[in-house]
Parts: sequence; C-alpha cells; structure tokens
Amino acid sequence: MNGETILPYLIIVPLFGAFSMPIISLAGRKAREAWAVIISGITLLVGSAVFHSVYENGPMLYTLGAKSPFGKANFPVRIVWEVDLLSALMVLMVTLVAFLAVLYSLGYMKHDTGLDKYYTLILILELGMLGIAITGDLFNFYVFLEIMSIASYALVAFRNDTWEGIEAGIKYMFVGSIASSLVLLGIALLYGQYGTLTMGYLAVKIAQNPTVVAKVALAFFIAGLLFKSGASPVHMWLADAHPAAPSSISAMLSGLVIKIGGVYALARILFSIYGSSVNMKTVGWVIIIFACITLIVGNAMAVIQTDMKRLLAYSSVGQIGYILLGIGIGLAAYGSRTGDIALAGAIYHTFNHALMKALLFLIAGAVIHELGTRNLNELSGLAKTMPKTTFAFLIGAAAIVGLPPLNGFASKWLIYESSAMFNPILATIAVIGTAFCTAAYVRVLYTFFGKPSEKVMNARDPDATMLWPMIILALAIIVMGLFPWQISDKVMIPVAKALENQLGYIATLMGGA
Amino acid sequence: MLGYWDALYFVFVFIIGLILAYLLDKWAKRSGMGTRETGDGTKIFISGEDPDRIIPGFEHLEGNYTGRNVMWGLTYALKNFFAVLRRDHTGLLTDYASYLVITTAFVLGVLLIWG
Repeated sequence: MNGETILPYLIIVPLFGAFSMPIISLAGRKAREAWAVIISGITLLVGSAVFHSVYENGPMLYTLGAKSPFGKANFPVRIVWEVDLLSALMVLMVTLVAFLAVLYSLGYMKHDTGLDKYYTLILILELGMLGIAITGDLFNFYVFLEIMSIASYALVAFRNDTWEGIEAGIKYMFVGSIASSLVLLGIALLYGQYGTLTMGYLAVKIAQNPTVVAKVALAFFIAGLLFKSGASPVHMWLADAHPAAPSSISAMLSGLVIKIGGVYALARILFSIYGSSVNMKTVGWVIIIFACITLIVGNAMAVIQTDMKRLLAYSSVGQIGYILLGIGIGLAAYGSRTGDIALAGAIYHTFNHALMKALLFLIAGAVIHELGTRNLNELSGLAKTMPKTTFAFLIGAAAIVGLPPLNGFASKWLIYESSAMFNPILATIAVIGTAFCTAAYVRVLYTFFGKPSEKVMNARDPDATMLWPMIILALAIIVMGLFPWQISDKVMIPVAKALENQLGYIATLMGGA
Repeated sequence: MLGYWDALYFVFVFIIGLILAYLLDKWAKRSGMGTRETGDGTKIFISGEDPDRIIPGFEHLEGNYTGRNVMWGLTYALKNFFAVLRRDHTGLLTDYASYLVITTAFVLGVLLIWG
C-alpha cells in the first residue's frame, strides 16, 4: 500500500472512531475504553506509515474526490492534502502523543462520568490537528483549525463541576473565536484578491502580484496564529485553559495544539505561501520580537507560580518563545546556514517539547490523582512516596531546561547557536529565559525532594495505565538525547529544508496534474 | 565547529565540576563555623548565616542570606519586574481581547510600512 492510499485513513479512522464512540459506549465502559485505544493506536500506525512513506519517497499529494488537483479547470481547484516532511513529522508527533494521552486517560479519568463525550472529543481533537498538518488548502485548513479549537474549548470545560474549567473554557472560546475570525478574514481577503484557496497555487499568484491586501491578510494570519501559539502578549488564555483541563488534555493542549494550530500553521503560511512575496527580514523580526517577549514573560511567570499546572502552562509559553525565535531567525536569515540551523532547531524543539510537556502534564495529573492538589506548597517530599513519578519529572524537567544529554539540549543548542550567529543579543535573551526556566523547575524539584509533609505520606505511584505513558515518554526523551545529531542531520535539517523549499511545495501540487 | 557537540565534552565538564565541588566543600568545611558534620549543629558554610535568625517569609533585610535561599534572592531582586508581570495578568477577558487587537494592529502597521 503506498503513501497516497493510506493518507485518507489518517482522517477517516479518528473521525469514524469519534462518531461511533456513543454507540460503542452502549456496550459498556470497557468496550468504550478499548475502542478509544484501538482507534488512536491504528491512527498512530497510519501516522507512522505516512511519515515513513514521505521520508523514503518524498512529498505526497492527495486530491479529494478526483485524480488531479486540477479537476476540469486549468488551475488547481480541488481540495488537496499535501504532505511534505514537516507535515509528516507533525503527524507522527500528534498520533504518538494522542495515543499516549488516550492510554493515560484509562486510569486518570476512571472516576469521571460522561466519558463517551470525552473520548469522542479527544479523537475529534486529534483529527483536527492531523487535518491541519496535512492539508494543502487554506479553507480546509480553517475548517480543521476550528474542529481542533472547538474540541479544545469543550475539553477545557469538561469537568464542569468546578468554576475554574467553565471560566477558562468560556474565556478560551471567546478570545479563541476572535483569533479564528482573524484567520478567516485573512483567508477571505486572499480568496477575494486571488480567487484560489490552494496553498501552492496561492503562493504562485501572490508572487506574481504581491498586493497590499496580501500583506493585510498576512498580518491577520500572524496575529491570529500567534494567539493560537500562546505567544506573549496574547498568551494569557493559555495559563487559564491548560491548567483547568483534565491533565491528559493539558498534555495534548500544551504538547500538540499550540504547536499544530499555532507555530506549525504560522510556519506553513509564512514559508510555503508567502515565502518569496514579502520582505522576509521584516516578517522575521516581527516574529523575533514576539519570541523574545514570550520567552522572557512565559519563563518568568513560571517562576512565581505555586500551582503546578499553571507553572507548566507558563513554561509552555516560554518554550513557544524558543520555537518562535527559531522560526523568526529562519525567516530573517532565510537561505543562509544560520537560517537553516535556526529553523531545524525550532522544528526539533517543537517535537521535543511535545514529548517533554506531555510527560510533565501527565506527571502533574498523577500527582493530582493521588493527592487531589496541585499546590506546590503541599507537595513537599513527594519523592519519598512517588519515586517513579518524581524520577520521570526529573527527566522531563532536566530535558526542558536543556540539560545534556537529554533531547531538549540539542534543540535548544541549535536555537542558541543560530541566535548567537544572527545577533548575540538574542542569544543573551534566550539564555536569560532559560535561567528563569531553570529556577522554576528547580523549585518544583526542591519541593519534591524536600522533607515529606503529612499530606504526601499516603500517596503512591499511579497504576500501570497511567505509569506506562510516562515511562514511554521519559524513555523517548532519554533515547532522543543519546542521538541528537543523528536525529538533527537525518530528520530535522531535511525537514527545515523541506519547509524552506517553496518551489518544491508548489511543484508537488502542480506535478499532481 | 558550531552546530555540533560531543558528549565527551560534557563528561569532562562534569568531572571538572565534581573536582571544583569537592575543593569547595573542603574549603567550606575548613572555614565554616559548624561544630558537627550533620544535624542541627551544622552551620551553613560559605554564607555563614545563622539559620535561627531567618524569619519565615524572608522579610528581614539585614545580614547575609544562605545558599538555600537563592530562589528567594532571585524573586526578591526581581520583585518589581514580577510585580509588573502579575499586575498585567489580570485574568479579565476584556484585557485578553485588547492585547489581541493591539498585537494585530502592531503586526499590521509593521507589515504595511516595512513589509
């Protein structure tokens, strides 16, 4: 079976799984849980196969409802799914973390009710993200963005017995909808001006006739997607929404949603659509400015949190700053070696952070599950009673701080190095951000390894369904850390090159004729 | 060469760090005022602060601060910065929307002028 044949199953499988969930749920709790694991497991297999196929055979193009994107017109008119190496990597990341989140949910959500809705939403969230990663059509992208966003709003407010979830969900939905509207407005402007929604063909049309309308649309895209990424100063929703969601969902929101719906979408639009049509230096510097604010504000806010999940949420904001810094330098130094390294670092850190932050949120969930609190002041001495969980936290924290030889080091190093080559002041800001990040995580570790408080004495490590996803993520972090440059050279640099190669993206679309 | 590192370098750095830590420990033990190796009689080396004088909440402004209060030092030194950040994070939906509008206006302005 070749890549193009299996690609639709990336959407079909979770879509079928989500909508059949209420029916399967009639057969009981065990059937529902097994169904969720099977569906997300099959999606992981399909995602791995898609990645393997793209890695071996190059980009793939799938036209919906026709053999060619041209249909009967003389320009690409059909909806296309275009998967290059970056998309494929994102697909692998989404399917892997989503599978582990579903597995973790079996133990974590066992005391909750309404789980048919929960598993339906989690699969819809996954398919929304997968759609964003693979689509080559701008309106199709918007549809998947909304599918992902609406599932996220609902999941943030899933535990509606507390005010926190509902308030966070409403805030997230309200401002998230404004951000989505900006993206939709950008798409409408481009469609009105150029008469096409196919990303590759839009790139050609904008390059032929770059107009003010295209720039206005770009501004709307950047603003809307910076919001979805959780970049500062439009990050405040994230610190409300991510801690309020159940921890398995927090892992997906912080690990995946802000990457796919934010930085990936931003990078795709900036490089694949606008690549040769705007002043890359200006756009790059705009992103860099937001990146610097983000990595300082996010990491600094993490230092002063007493709520463990809120600390992790602010830390996610900080890490998005590093990814945006890499993308910004990749744009501003487009075509140079510095730009390549920065972009590879950004993509590498996107993948690494998905693993690290998923792990840390799953750990936070295990702690909440056992102790019913996420207040750091009450978690002193946790290492004594939850040693495996604490060890996993140690791995995750060390990786996110960028301690060698874990995976976070390699990606951060690439970002530091490229920023030092591009502008040493940026490297200094990045290091200051890391100093804050270190302070925030050392504080948690200090708490965990401190004198055991009475509250933690009865806690114990969670059961296997919750522990295994954490172990798998911790192992992935360690193993990826052992081969940093092999991964960088064989995967991340080619992915960065694929993203930069706008002509290749267009050729894949046109070659499908 | 930039862009590449060798895990061996980190092993060397780690070993050097261990040697430095050992030397520091030896020096601190010699010059510290503690009377016991462990337990309550131990005085914190280097900073030489009397733990009994430390008021919970670290509000006192006199004397030295001990090594374990590095975190306090960080937050105290940057308290104005953190206060500004805290003040800014109001949790109000209207502020969230305002920041989104400001961000959009900023990006739009920059792109229209220099894009």
